[in-house]
Amino acid sequence: MYSRILTGSIVGTDAEVVTVETDLSPGLPNVTIVGLPDISVREARERIRVALMNAGYRFPSKRITVNLSPADSKKEGTHFDLPIAMGVMAASGDISADEASRYAFIGELSLDGKINPVQGAIALAIGLRNRGTQKLILPSGNKQEVSMLRDIEIYPVEHIAEVEAHLSGFNPVAPYSGRPGKAPEGQPLDDGDFADVAGQEGVKRALQVAAAAAHNILMIGPPGAGKTMMARRLPGILPAMTYEECLEVTKIFSIAGQLQSEGGLITRRPFRSPHHTISPTALAGGGTKPRPGEVSLAHFGVLFLDEFPEFQRKALEVLRQPLEDEKITIARTSATVTYPAKIMLVAAMNPCPCGYLGHSTRKCICSEHQVLQYLSKISGPLADRIDMHVEIFPVPCEELLADTVNYKRMDSMQMRRTVEDARRIQIDRYSEEKISYNSQLTPPLIKKYCPLDGESKQLLKMAFETYKLTARSGQKIIKLARTIADLGKNDKISSEHIAEAIGYNRYFAMGNTYENHR
Amino acid sequence: MKITDEENRIKAISIDNDGYPELLRVIENPPEVLYYIGDLGICSTLCLAVVGARKATPYGKWAAYNISKLTAEHGVTIISGMASGIDTCGHLGALAAGGSTIAVLGCGPDICYPRTNRELMNKIAQQGLILSEYPPGRGPHPGQFPVRNRIISALSYGVLVVEAGLSSGSLITAGHALNQGKEVFAVPGNINCIYSAGTNRLIRDGAMPVTAIDEIPELLGIRKIRPKEEEDSLLGEDEKVIYELVAVHGTVTLDRLCLLSGKQPAAVGALVTILEIKGRLQTTMGKIHVAKY
Repeated sequence: MYSRILTGSIVGTDAEVVTVETDLSPGLPNVTIVGLPDISVREARERIRVALMNAGYRFPSKRITVNLSPADSKKEGTHFDLPIAMGVMAASGDISADEASRYAFIGELSLDGKINPVQGAIALAIGLRNRGTQKLILPSGNKQEVSMLRDIEIYPVEHIAEVEAHLSGFNPVAPYSGRPGKAPEGQPLDDGDFADVAGQEGVKRALQVAAAAAHNILMIGPPGAGKTMMARRLPGILPAMTYEECLEVTKIFSIAGQLQSEGGLITRRPFRSPHHTISPTALAGGGTKPRPGEVSLAHFGVLFLDEFPEFQRKALEVLRQPLEDEKITIARTSATVTYPAKIMLVAAMNPCPCGYLGHSTRKCICSEHQVLQYLSKISGPLADRIDMHVEIFPVPCEELLADTVNYKRMDSMQMRRTVEDARRIQIDRYSEEKISYNSQLTPPLIKKYCPLDGESKQLLKMAFETYKLTARSGQKIIKLARTIADLGKNDKISSEHIAEAIGYNRYFAMGNTYENHR
Repeated sequence: MKITDEENRIKAISIDNDGYPELLRVIENPPEVLYYIGDLGICSTLCLAVVGARKATPYGKWAAYNISKLTAEHGVTIISGMASGIDTCGHLGALAAGGSTIAVLGCGPDICYPRTNRELMNKIAQQGLILSEYPPGRGPHPGQFPVRNRIISALSYGVLVVEAGLSSGSLITAGHALNQGKEVFAVPGNINCIYSAGTNRLIRDGAMPVTAIDEIPELLGIRKIRPKEEEDSLLGEDEKVIYELVAVHGTVTLDRLCLLSGKQPAAVGALVTILEIKGRLQTTMGKIHVAKY
């Protein structure tokens, strides 16, 4: 009167295999679930009892003990309903235990025996597949997201009776295959094309440089200058995600419960723009039941923070770890989890609280103290971790209306092609290393891959004196110059590349006042 | 009466004392006692007051800094009120030229207001003079600032207003200067710029417009020192093109420079940075202008 059923449990963004052991023994009718279940798992016994009876099966009046093994890790989520129900049926002989042992199960039960979709299905499927599971029975509401996975057969089911019919061989369910392993197409441009942006060629160029190596970028400018408009167009010039990247992103969205039910694999780079009132927890992830936050939902994509200094200071400081390590670790009493967070940070801010400092036609009403207070919200260490600082100025009316320009306006497709070429150069160059882009270069790697000629060194030295740069800014400038050289398909970094890179690093270096500049 | 504080740093001098500045003694309501740090003797040198708005545009700051620097190079002492904005740039220009400068405070001479000017205040105390009619410990109360403006104008031969809105305190200084029979100079600005409305009105009302950065020494009757030859040969061909464009068009954006030069933003960005490092151009808030003619 004993059975073993395979299922999984989510740990961070990975999944471990869990064996549901069920034992029926004589005694007072009772169900006990052990193995550190949380409330959502413990409540399963009520759902299972009612669901089995309503579906026309018997629920054994025995003393039922369910152990979720390994018993020392916490289990949570409603996807344990189906495997536990299968365990009870296998132990009581309603289904063949041998047949059931060839599958892994996930699914949540309704009281009428229907099987509802669960959160994190693709993460569970990937984890189980990597640990040897070949066949997975899962809610049909999750079939789209999991169908893209290679090397695992999936059997979507709607009702517990379907599972029983399948296992008994009476009415087998056909394995579902969507379009497994299909590489995604390029990002559609439905968020707009850079060609729509009149003027701002300098900023467009800066964004292209940023996109070419996922450099973080901060845009500073008065309201209406076009900061948000351009940030929204940024994903359009990023290269398409690889299949593995798509899986990873889908997994995180699935765990966070943010996947559209029939959405399938996410093939577009995420663009997350949380409001500035967001709490540190929502940004970083966490909560009593840890979930990925916005930084992880923006994994492989863009995290856009508009009104950057208006974010809570704690929320901003939380960004330091992901910017440095490309992941975020959340320690809670219940568990410590690590979520990936390889983001490209795009931040936007006004030059002062009212927004019009330095504006030619509108008067700024802030006191100097207020301006300093506002700027000081971006702490030095944080500003230092943002590779590029770009000032944006509103396009004057006559330029908005001008329809003839004597240089070629960049459009998104053209920009993306250049970005893709530059990324390919970088991936080739770093094939021996653990990194793929220039923005990930560490000091020893900078030495190895970014040699400077005499003229560049001289220029950099002069810039250090003029702008009073920090050592870290110097590193940033060299990394940026490497990217700029790659965009131009140049093997060597020249002084022009260095000069352009310096231009993206002077806002905070100068303290942005005439006094400090001298 | 001549008292000194414990550190012998802040000194005081009353109106009946010999060392009291003559120029101040003769005005309508001279301060009874002057508190000061530094050398009171520089009050008797030729002084130019450089005043203007706290909130100034890059243009105003540029003008204040460079005019002060050039004038100080001719041995003129720059007087101002050590407020942020134009005042600060005036002092900095004088200090950069190695000249002397006087800060007339609206609070006690031991109090630094605004606090961001701490470093500047120390430098002025070493290289020039900190002056106040208020005793040590007196905080920066509003109302004291317009009053100290009469001291600024009294000590100077002329008052240069660099940038002022229509309600700026600098206009009060200009008013004092008129009453005391001093010269008033004003830096003209665009007529659509709110920060220049006050100075432009001063010009309409008869103030002497400053039409070139090196005009002041001449207006003060000092023989001009020949400026060091600028070596344009230091600039490359492309750099020259960009520099000329900015010089002709005044304050421009990077976009406008691309339009004007027909070059790609990447190239223009690089050239502007190089020119800035060479000290020829300057960028502020996304706008580019000439730093040095």
